Amino acid sequence: MGMSLGQLSELSEGMNLHESKRIITQANINLYAEASQDFNPIHIDEDFAKKTPLGGTIAHGMLILAYVSQMMSAAFGRSWLAGSKLNVRFKTPARPGDTITVTGRISRIERSEGQTLIHCDVLCRNQNDEAVITGETSLRVEGNENSC
Amino acid sequence: MSEEQKVEYSQLEADYEFPPSRYKLDYSSVAAYLKAVEDTSSLYQDTELVPPMAIAAYAIAALSENISLPSGTIHVSQELEFIDTVGINDTLTSYARVSRQQSRGKFHLLTIDFNVFNQRQKAVLAGKTSFILPEQTGGR
Repeated sequence: MGMSLGQLSELSEGMNLHESKRIITQANINLYAEASQDFNPIHIDEDFAKKTPLGGTIAHGMLILAYVSQMMSAAFGRSWLAGSKLNVRFKTPARPGDTITVTGRISRIERSEGQTLIHCDVLCRNQNDEAVITGETSLRVEGNENSC
Repeated sequence: MSEEQKVEYSQLEADYEFPPSRYKLDYSSVAAYLKAVEDTSSLYQDTELVPPMAIAAYAIAALSENISLPSGTIHVSQELEFIDTVGINDTLTSYARVSRQQSRGKFHLLTIDFNVFNQRQKAVLAGKTSFILPEQTGGR
């Protein structure tokens, strides 16, 4: 599967990736704990979490980051799965009930002989417009004009 | 690994190497991961491909099997490089080492680098995870 954002030659700096919204639930968090084997009580034990400075359970940062990865694979297909990088900061925890909006924007395109390097800024924010994740991604795509 | 066998984070120093962790992602574990993150991408339907974030999640979970992190530990940053694709039933081995251990007042910053290889000893993923940990008051 190739890129779904468009042909490589159609990509331009400043182009937005498809935005997505996710509602975080405790059920999602519990499923993720099982799937990832990360049972830190701050994510799954409401009684424990209430007694911490966070005041309640929070989603795993890697769960929210998975949504960023999904946005990237939706945009760039299999190219995202190998030869790509991400670098993010977890700024504010995501909590059950939060609506997380995942956005991305192509910040730079470097075309060279036989390949193209695409850089994106990524952002996840909650319903209060607080940044949950900020960061950058990059990926290498074979071809530099009309192929992808 | 029992809590008693885990390394206390306060004992960790830069360059400490964790024991390698070996794991395999089979159909059911990949399906559970896709369900948990609500990923319905056709990339993973009827293919043998494993989502790269699932590999990262397992590598980080393997770390937590070796280290006793106190409650209140916060994951503050994550770098990942997806080097090559991973297929279902590939056997992965994760190597991790402490790249930074620093105290800042009542908090500690812990950064761990990890590299994941497949059964052909080919690198598939590299990462750098940073945590902020509060002063230790007992295991998590």
